[in-house]
Amino acid sequence: MKIVLIVNRKPYKINVEPKRRLLDILRDDLNFIGTKEGCGKGECGACTVLLNGRRVNSCLVPAFQLEGSTVITVEGLRNWKVFKPIERAFIENGAVQCGFCFPGFVISTVSFLKEKSSPVTLDKIKTAFGGNICRCTGYTKILAAIQELADQKDIIDQIQEDWKNEFNARK
Amino acid sequence: MKPNPKNFRVDAAEKLHGKTQYIRDEKIEGLWYGATIRSPYPRARIKDIQFNPDFDWDTVTVVTAKDILNNYVSMLENDMPFLADKITNYYGEAIVILAGPKKDNLDEAKKHIKIQFEELPAILDMLESETSDVKIFGTNNLFKDILIKNGDLEVAKKEADEIVHIEVRTGFQEQMYMEPQGIVALPEKDRVVIRGSIQCPYYVKGALDTMFDGKKEITVIHVPTGGAFGGKEDYPSIIAGHAALLAVKSGHPVAFFFDREEDIQFTTKRHPSYHNDTAYVTKDGKILGLDIQMVLDSGAYCTLSQVVLARAALTASNCYYIPNIRIRAKAVATNIVPPGAFRGFGGPQAVFAIEMLIEKIANQLDLSPVDVRRKNLIGLGQQTPTGQILKYSVSGKETFEDVLERSDFEIKYLDFKKNNIPILEKLSKGEYPKQKRSDVLRGIGIAPSQHGAGFTGTGENVIKGKIRVEINKNGQPVIYSAQTEMGQGEVTAFQIILSEALQIRRDDVIVAEVNTDFVPNSGPTVASRSTMVVGSLLVDAANEIIREFQNRLKENGKIDFEYRQGYFYSGEKIISFKETAKMYSDLKVEKQYEHPPIIQFDDVKWKGDAYPTYSWAAAVAEVEVDPVTFEIKVTKFYTTHEIGKAINYDQAVAQIQGGSLQGIGYALYENIRAENGKFNVQGFSDYIIPTTTEMPDFEVSILENPYPFGPFGAKGLGELPLVGAAPAVVSALWMIFGREFNEIPVLPEDVFSLFY
Repeated sequence: MKIVLIVNRKPYKINVEPKRRLLDILRDDLNFIGTKEGCGKGECGACTVLLNGRRVNSCLVPAFQLEGSTVITVEGLRNWKVFKPIERAFIENGAVQCGFCFPGFVISTVSFLKEKSSPVTLDKIKTAFGGNICRCTGYTKILAAIQELADQKDIIDQIQEDWKNEFNARK
Repeated sequence: MKPNPKNFRVDAAEKLHGKTQYIRDEKIEGLWYGATIRSPYPRARIKDIQFNPDFDWDTVTVVTAKDILNNYVSMLENDMPFLADKITNYYGEAIVILAGPKKDNLDEAKKHIKIQFEELPAILDMLESETSDVKIFGTNNLFKDILIKNGDLEVAKKEADEIVHIEVRTGFQEQMYMEPQGIVALPEKDRVVIRGSIQCPYYVKGALDTMFDGKKEITVIHVPTGGAFGGKEDYPSIIAGHAALLAVKSGHPVAFFFDREEDIQFTTKRHPSYHNDTAYVTKDGKILGLDIQMVLDSGAYCTLSQVVLARAALTASNCYYIPNIRIRAKAVATNIVPPGAFRGFGGPQAVFAIEMLIEKIANQLDLSPVDVRRKNLIGLGQQTPTGQILKYSVSGKETFEDVLERSDFEIKYLDFKKNNIPILEKLSKGEYPKQKRSDVLRGIGIAPSQHGAGFTGTGENVIKGKIRVEINKNGQPVIYSAQTEMGQGEVTAFQIILSEALQIRRDDVIVAEVNTDFVPNSGPTVASRSTMVVGSLLVDAANEIIREFQNRLKENGKIDFEYRQGYFYSGEKIISFKETAKMYSDLKVEKQYEHPPIIQFDDVKWKGDAYPTYSWAAAVAEVEVDPVTFEIKVTKFYTTHEIGKAINYDQAVAQIQGGSLQGIGYALYENIRAENGKFNVQGFSDYIIPTTTEMPDFEVSILENPYPFGPFGAKGLGELPLVGAAPAVVSALWMIFGREFNEIPVLPEDVFSLFY
């Protein structure tokens, strides 16, 4: 089937099998390799992307649901102004090890900070990130970075602004 | 605490940008995919393999055992074939491999291959292996049988007030690296190039050199690896062999990219274990003697089981001084997927077993489990079971006392006991145990642990790891070693070690890609040895570089130069390291490892220095058990590690947090069983590893007690955090219930069954 979708602000017209997974479209058809496959069953969160502003496991989304959708992967997030402070928080907290789960964590971080209700407690963060599995770190440093970001008003404002820009760019 | 910017990981930015290319991210022209047809029986005779003529076999390439020159994976025993020939020895053993450009056509091709089997009796229980009529390995199915003795158990028996006996079992554990196994073989004229997610490139090279009988040149290139934990130590040799065979036969690059299910079902795991241990103790808890028997289920082929067994046996007395001890350890064959390396490498099983024995001693003699441990902790100058006298960097007592104090163990122990009394009373009466929602059972448990750093026994002297440092045109030292980055922070640590030794900026140290054509064999990236063993070579190399530069400067100017803080000085003359290095950019320094002569081991008699040194830890786990659902949760986890010297403090803490959580998973969640030889899990939803919601608050502390032969005093770290976590957690369950727990994982239903 033919579908049109927007990935990282750019529209693509593609011809795909209706059941082809968004993950394969991103990685194999459009070369957005930042999105990883850890399980293929929606269990690990390594393939998390933003689909129409909501975070999803891209391995669970078939092509026939994608017509007219907006997808943002880690490659798209790199252009957001807020990406810099997010990057800094993860690096300075020593949160990255093997890195395979990390693009998924970065997407979930943006989504969480956008939707967050204050105050952000560690328990809230734990619940929100239960779908992103990491085997290396024991999570502590990842969550510390997220807490640090959530506590900074200018970062939350920047996310809202970047989010709006992304949304407007679609039109 | 924020790390010093110098210690930020060099690989972090690329990884969180999603730019790091793991093997599946590479675009390889004309890539074919590999697939495997596996045995559906734990043990069977292969009678015939038929290829349906209706299928167009020109669209795929097929390889069977008869296509392989040397059909065995070169490892310790060479007993494992790349492809089963006449007999298959486990459910899932590879029999036929095939490759083609299209995955759906491969699936179709698989349907047109029919294998006729005659099912044979199998060994599915490790305790039946030795006496079974079925022979998988040798005459008695023993891959290895170890006896270690020190002192005289008869003396202990005579003097003891009490005999304490326990049987302990531990289960399989899956490494569950986030990136599944992935290997690509690229055929060239007389060469095969292997790229992939690999822990030990030289292992793969060795296996392929043997498989092709030297008729192909083999190059192995390490690609960024998404976690390994031992799971990519020995296993990649098998699929690299498969990919290479298909690549050579087809003339196309061939990939084996396992999906999660294939990975969890058919790749190596931690060895399950059985322990039958007896302690001879005085009435105040002093252990006079230990009689330890352990069995490791080692699966259908030997893989690394002999060495895993050795480490398990050598760790059997954990951090305790036992004057009279006998350790009998056996690695037995069964018709189950061969286990292999997993962080801890035999240590977690051994330490769990003895810690449960200690709990039982305390329980049976009505003593405090803290006091029993404290009374028996080993100290400087005392002997291990192999007669090794601990001469330096011994911190079993210090880590133990530190973690006790930091965790307020004694106070909480009493408070929690008091908290639990009414809840336990109701439970035992069969009444609803909660009055308010916050009514939970609280426990606190402790376990010390240790890990011998570097290879077991004479291993380092056999491998004789070698590194090379070259100075490039820009005056930067480039490290050539076979150590691989799998997430543990090896590249950053190596940059820190060499830059500190040379007193230059970290950014000016380059770590070369691990390509077996260019890097010498510095040994595998295993056994918590990279920092301690290979790191010590980096310091040696740095010293030689400085000496060499001083010599050359002197030849030039006929004056002596002193080296301080990155500069060579002589009178009024000052020249920086970098300027000097640019002048002498042809310099290459090689260093080869051998233990200092003070370290001696006899691996026939099992006497001497089993490890050059040990790292020490002690952990305290606070645990909550819901008295209605019996859900078990670790809420706080204190651990104190003594690792000689933390080369990268922040990332050392990260290793400790990550390893501890794997150990907590081992204790409470990670449950995988072979049912009639077939693993009963498929992925993350039925093999549960800890998520953020299972993560406790970690309170980590690192003590330093330098090892004289490590870089800046550093010892091994990578494996230790996992080793002592499970017993600390289960110790808390003993404390809550006052009942014996002797098997992991402990699941809610196990606790439930104490009452219902």
